[in-house]
Amino acid sequence: MLEVNGLSAGYQGNDVVHDVAFRVDQGEAVMIIGSNGAGKTTLFQTLCGLLSPTSGKVLFEGDDIAGLPAERIARLGMRFVSAARHLFPRMTVEEHLLLGAYPKKPDPETMTLVLDLFPRLAERRRQRAGTMSGGEQQMLAVGRALMSKPRLLVLDEPSTGLAPLLARAAYEALGVLRERGLTVLVTEQQVPLAMAFSDRGYVLENGFIRLEGTTDQLAANPAVRSAYLGVT
Amino acid sequence: MMANILDGIVLGLQFGLLAAGLTLIYGLGGVLNLGYGQMAVTSAMTVAFALDADIPILPAVGLGLLAGGLFGLLLDLTLLRPVYRLRGEARVLLSLLLTLGVSFIIDGYLNWRYPLKALSLHIGGGAVEILGVLMRRGSLVASGITLVTITGLFVFFRYTSLGRAIRSVIENEDGARLIGIDPKKMLRLILVLSGVLAALVAVTRSMVAPVDTTSGLSITVFALIVTVVGGLGNVAGALIAGIILGIVNIVAADLIGSYISLILLLVAAGVTILIRPAGILGVRE
Repeated sequence: MLEVNGLSAGYQGNDVVHDVAFRVDQGEAVMIIGSNGAGKTTLFQTLCGLLSPTSGKVLFEGDDIAGLPAERIARLGMRFVSAARHLFPRMTVEEHLLLGAYPKKPDPETMTLVLDLFPRLAERRRQRAGTMSGGEQQMLAVGRALMSKPRLLVLDEPSTGLAPLLARAAYEALGVLRERGLTVLVTEQQVPLAMAFSDRGYVLENGFIRLEGTTDQLAANPAVRSAYLGVT
Repeated sequence: MMANILDGIVLGLQFGLLAAGLTLIYGLGGVLNLGYGQMAVTSAMTVAFALDADIPILPAVGLGLLAGGLFGLLLDLTLLRPVYRLRGEARVLLSLLLTLGVSFIIDGYLNWRYPLKALSLHIGGGAVEILGVLMRRGSLVASGITLVTITGLFVFFRYTSLGRAIRSVIENEDGARLIGIDPKKMLRLILVLSGVLAALVAVTRSMVAPVDTTSGLSITVFALIVTVVGGLGNVAGALIAGIILGIVNIVAADLIGSYISLILLLVAAGVTILIRPAGILGVRE
């Protein structure tokens, strides 16, 4: 579904990620882990079109989308939920969800699915996004992305700013979506959460992919265990 | 006094609509259009020439609205191209300089070729009594059209998916792009809309007082002051600020003279910047 090859990107001519390659197959959940500053957010901003790559290919369902503007990529069915969430502070929960489907008419079944998944959003339909808690905003960002019925959901650190209990709840909701066949690519600093959720993973360090494997393989790797799982 | 207040509301509604067009472009694209008043004047002149050519009033007004919309579209397609490549303050400054240039060229041309041309639409029928005050029918028709337009804008932005998409770009441009909304298309649409609004204000204004070739600068200045008081990028704020300043303007002009009243409006804008930088309805985020 997504195949990235030789991708380099950064800011003002200084590459932050170098020659990155990975792939996500239909129906998979894939994680990219790495410490703060490893280049995860730069990588994801490039994938979704907010940044232009300096070189490399991003094949989404066979088409090279590298360098396309974000709005084009979003319409192709790849939806990005950033750690910054990018909500519309003075607009209501309901308006966000309706806009998620733009320019199509919102599908009532998808709306029901989203509201079942995040009952808090149903309770707060008329509340403005700017007045909600971090956890609710995260739900709204995911819900808005889901309204477009994406084929690939790309999540940048969904646990950012969430209390441990809420972070776990967020991953539970993502688990439900996976069972319904959604393909997910996720970066995470709280590695245990992403490990329990994903099929495969890649380790990004200083902008390079250092390791890859199934989550079991990665969990058994001594370097990963000491650096990301807090096991010595 | 009552008469002044009613006149102030008539003027204020127009101020509000005027400012809405200016504030939307700023909120959406960081573009400050100082040629806004000339958009209105160009439309008014289009109507005036259409009437001279014996075109009936409604189609003539239609041509004027079309001219306003085309003006906006043309700005978007030509002069604003280099502006869109910049970001932040540089974008505001370049847009301000280029549109100021447009305003000089249009003012200069119109004053040279048609120094005496003015649009003044006479609405027939006698005065109507409202709250014990005799109001000219032209004022009432102008206010009616303005109110209907304001209501239409409100409905458009709140209840249509296109309107919501435009608001989302004002709220968070990257957020809008990530859900597939193209900010450039929305900005083009808003430039056309603001041109039509400027035209509409010019036409309704001409029912109350003549709009001539020198009206452009004062229209831009009024729109700018109301925009500042209402909060840049805030349409509801612009409408409320318009009504308040409309009343202030008329009452002050009557009590102390019209030169002083313009200074009063500037003072209102200055005070607003000092105590509520985000405008009367503004919330700092």
